[in-house]
Amino acid sequence: MKKFLKVIKLILTVLFFLYTILILSFLFLSPKETRFNFAGNFQGNYISQTVFNVLTFQYPNYSDAFFEQSVPFNKRGEFARGFELLNKAVELDPSLHLGYRGYMKLRFLRDYKNALLDFSRLDSLTPNFEDAPWGEDINFLRGECYFGIKDYSKAITCFKRNIENNTEDWVDLNTFVYLGLCEYELGNYEKAILEYQRALKQSVNTPEAHFGLAKAYLELNNFEKAKEHILKAELNIEYKRKDPYKEFQNELYLSEILQFKRKLTE
Amino acid sequence: MKFKPKNKLNLWLLISFLLASTLTFWLNDQLSKRVGDISFNEELDDSFFKVCDETRILQYYSVNANYQNGRKALKKEIWETIEPLTFKASGYITFRFIINCDGEIGRFRVKTIDSELKKNKFDSGKIKTLQKSIENLKHWNAGALGIKTFDSYFVLNFKIEIGKITDIF
Repeated sequence: MKKFLKVIKLILTVLFFLYTILILSFLFLSPKETRFNFAGNFQGNYISQTVFNVLTFQYPNYSDAFFEQSVPFNKRGEFARGFELLNKAVELDPSLHLGYRGYMKLRFLRDYKNALLDFSRLDSLTPNFEDAPWGEDINFLRGECYFGIKDYSKAITCFKRNIENNTEDWVDLNTFVYLGLCEYELGNYEKAILEYQRALKQSVNTPEAHFGLAKAYLELNNFEKAKEHILKAELNIEYKRKDPYKEFQNELYLSEILQFKRKLTE
Repeated sequence: MKFKPKNKLNLWLLISFLLASTLTFWLNDQLSKRVGDISFNEELDDSFFKVCDETRILQYYSVNANYQNGRKALKKEIWETIEPLTFKASGYITFRFIINCDGEIGRFRVKTIDSELKKNKFDSGKIKTLQKSIENLKHWNAGALGIKTFDSYFVLNFKIEIGKITDIF
């Protein structure tokens, strides 16, 4: 019995040590890519942050780790810490992370001027290459920045450059919507109508284009067309441009459409 | 003092057990806590505000929690109250709070940064005024997956340029 107990104790001791060694060796000694993927999969959990802390301690030039570690902070409104980490990533590898930082400044902070600075710096680092920060064309994002600071002429230039580079059929249709919005803001209602129609050519179910058309036609006193398009905007509101993280500058809501509709019938 | 082999084994078992259990508690803690979690603080929080499931408070973007008709409508509703406020610097005031599964809000926390995106401080009285204006809003849509509603964290930013609030999002 004593021998049996001794064996059990021995097995347990080995198991407990093995368990500890396995976990610690994973945290401190496993390949950095394995740990990066693990931490990325647990984004936001403290364990993820701990693994990134270990990684950046062991590999102080691992820019991707700083970048990925910043993500949950910025998504959750802790921008001081989020941008501290993201700035470090940019410092280590500007051409890889400037685009994302600019994108975050634009979409998460509406910090248009500083987003433009990041996009310009990125452009200068990648000559003869059309950058696409976070999957969106750099000229489209620049256009959004200029739209944000109400410099509609410069915004138009950027959106047009985006169309030239990506061609009419392949460019993001929101480029035409923004062009319509810019022309509308400048008082060029006929031009605005042409731009919105280009958006509808790509997709007839674009509520932002129908809403823009209704507003532009109203300015031109064409009530019939305004009514036609406000109804289409209402009908297609399900297809509106949306993002779970942030509200777009030109985000459209059904309440606005209904309010405009009431205004038309008054 | 000299240990006998039997005592040595007991000692190793104890050490290995203590190490393994400490590691397990630490791992459990690391896996259950998340960036931006807000636990109840009786000094800061309204005790009448209740969450439906303390163990499962999601992020607004996972369950589509929002203000009715979006942040645009929210901005419109509080603009008159907050527009006259002035500040000594530029930057952002960010509120993080919970929308519970019944569409009520509470447990406010505030983070502030300057225009260089570094931590700073804004007048606490004015931050209180902003918080009050949010608390007065009544049309919150609780986060939902299908027909089930959830508690979720929400983030609202006030952008300040040259001492004035210029945007809310």
